[in-house]
Amino acid sequence: MKRNVAFPYFFIAPAVLLFAVFTIYPVLSSLLLSFQKSTGGELIFTGLANYQRLFGDDIFIKALKNTFLILIIQVPIMIFLALVLANALNRKLLKLKGFFRTSFFLPAVTSLVAYAVLFSIMMQDDGIFNTAIHMLGLDSIPWLSHPVWAKISMILAMTWRWTGYNMVIFLAALQNLSDDIYEAAALDGAGKWQQFFHITIPQLKPVILFSTILSTIGTLQLFDEPMNLTKGGPADSTMTLGLYIYQNGFEYFDFGYASAIAYVVVILVAVLSFLQFKVTGED
Amino acid sequence: MKKAWSLLSLILVFILAMTGCSGQSADEASGVASKKGKTLTVWAWNTNVPVLKQAEKIYAKDHKGFKLKIQEISNNDMYPKLTTSLQGGGQGLPDIVLIEDTHIQGYLHNFPKAFVNLSKKGFDKEGEKFPSYKRELASRDGNMYGMPFDGGPAGVFYRTDYFKKAGINPDSIETWDDFIAAGKTLKQKTGIKFLSLDMNSDDPVYRLMLNQQGSFYFGDDNKPALASKESQTAMKMLKKLKDEGVASNVTGWDAWLSGVASGKVATAVSGSWMAGLIEQQAPKDKGKWGVFPLPAFEKGGNRAANIGGSAWTIPTASKNQDSAYDFLKFFSTTNKIQEIATKGGLFPTLNTVYTSPLFTEADDYFNNQKIWQIFANETKEIKAANYTGNYAIAKDEAVKAQSEILTSGKNIPTALKAAEKRLENRLSTKE
Repeated sequence: MKRNVAFPYFFIAPAVLLFAVFTIYPVLSSLLLSFQKSTGGELIFTGLANYQRLFGDDIFIKALKNTFLILIIQVPIMIFLALVLANALNRKLLKLKGFFRTSFFLPAVTSLVAYAVLFSIMMQDDGIFNTAIHMLGLDSIPWLSHPVWAKISMILAMTWRWTGYNMVIFLAALQNLSDDIYEAAALDGAGKWQQFFHITIPQLKPVILFSTILSTIGTLQLFDEPMNLTKGGPADSTMTLGLYIYQNGFEYFDFGYASAIAYVVVILVAVLSFLQFKVTGED
Repeated sequence: MKKAWSLLSLILVFILAMTGCSGQSADEASGVASKKGKTLTVWAWNTNVPVLKQAEKIYAKDHKGFKLKIQEISNNDMYPKLTTSLQGGGQGLPDIVLIEDTHIQGYLHNFPKAFVNLSKKGFDKEGEKFPSYKRELASRDGNMYGMPFDGGPAGVFYRTDYFKKAGINPDSIETWDDFIAAGKTLKQKTGIKFLSLDMNSDDPVYRLMLNQQGSFYFGDDNKPALASKESQTAMKMLKKLKDEGVASNVTGWDAWLSGVASGKVATAVSGSWMAGLIEQQAPKDKGKWGVFPLPAFEKGGNRAANIGGSAWTIPTASKNQDSAYDFLKFFSTTNKIQEIATKGGLFPTLNTVYTSPLFTEADDYFNNQKIWQIFANETKEIKAANYTGNYAIAKDEAVKAQSEILTSGKNIPTALKAAEKRLENRLSTKE
């Protein structure tokens, strides 16, 4: 009897061990770091000084605003697009389903750096994007060098990269929905869009919540795109919390301050996830 | 409840076990190296690998069994890796690290005990074989911590075929205003862009123009000098380059380099190391490239500036400090090794090597021009740039000001004064 109690722990030990070493230990040690400052190579405790610095730091506030702006615009667009795509690809009449599903999912498999570098080359002043726009007889767009366009470029790139990933999650959930409900709705005279808004979306609510929370967390940590597309420019207009953490830690050797910002991100993730649960009425 | 406690204690035990392990294994790894005694690990980026391999062969003739384990890391990936290792108390560091001049002071100030004091090992005597600006860049409080290696005397790389077509004589370009006039002519006659500049995410030409005027982000008192007279002059010239249609915008290093290598632009204002890059990236354009000295701000003015360059350091975490010092001293002060470096496109700063025939020879890739002579003559005139330990933060503010001036059309003195103020604030809150 006693043996049976110990047995499961034996099996989960490797996972717990890895989790402890690569997650719990860094999390605790960065918490400690966020109360410290490096002076002449030695770490000394400074209490809440790093957190106090945040309030007077214009770049941090700008990064916070940029991150939220991208979050508020990009996540809903992407989730909606993913839902529409998943719904379309779930149609019984659609030919070449496998091909379309793979094509839309493919961007999610590409390396973050590789895709960002490609987008940066396509978005140059004389890149493919502007060449195409010229052919339509329009003026070229300063994709990466205008404060507003740079944000739009970032959103475009992220949407290309992540929509397919969310689509696959929705597709899996859609396949669990019973055809009976749709048949009944059709008999009652509900059109395709009515079915989409009144049956599909409510039925998928837990999955949408899941995707939204994952995307929110991902966007709060946004790093690869600004790093490789714009380096946060022009003039900090694409500076994100993730990029600012990196700069403080690895470029300015200010690990204590970088950890403090990282903890702000942790708190934001916790609060936003909680709110999303509350708003959608899940327990 | 009891279960929860046992789980928690289990986790704690694992944490302790693992942190213990990692420390041990690192010691073991370097222990192996010291037992063999003659295998040194080096971190360096791609262009430095060929000369290291040659040096290893030559050095091994007198040092039986000597081997280098070269880990090729791009200079952009080097700093996160180095910083992480230093922050982790020196774990996983190699015996030799190559660091760019721009970054050395930052490391020396933030990790004062992390690098071997080379002056204490007697390097000061050898140090005199290098120009004073290179010595200063690798020193802290009068002690040398880095062995100077390559430099980046600046020049203008240009497409000889485009210039010929537009009827421009590069020798007639003496000032930046001449440069702008030539740019307009070339664009008119060939339709090809003259110069591309990263206006929003980097500032190499601004930095080079500051150094050319004997100034930098920081003054001699280590205080931010972004609003200095020299800085305003540089920004005015950059704005003129843009407004006259001579410079076009490009974002990011990769796009900049591919634009130059593919012949989309006629010139590149850069450091001598660009010679190696062009040759590597555009082998089929052999004979179509040339170099002329940096234009001056006024006729007869200074035409020398430096951009880039690096030095060798030995981390104190190394178990082979003496062997590393001995090898590096051989590498840094042997003319033959520095000649090999030059052939690979790295411009040496060891002054005893300039008498080598290599510096009066014609370079066949560069249309048989004696490009290395141009750079060697320039080196003597280069002034030290004060990078300080806060180069990265200052660069961030300088790039922002440049972007505001060139892209958003902000007034030059206003933008620079605001940037200087922001930099002062950031430095004071960091302290």
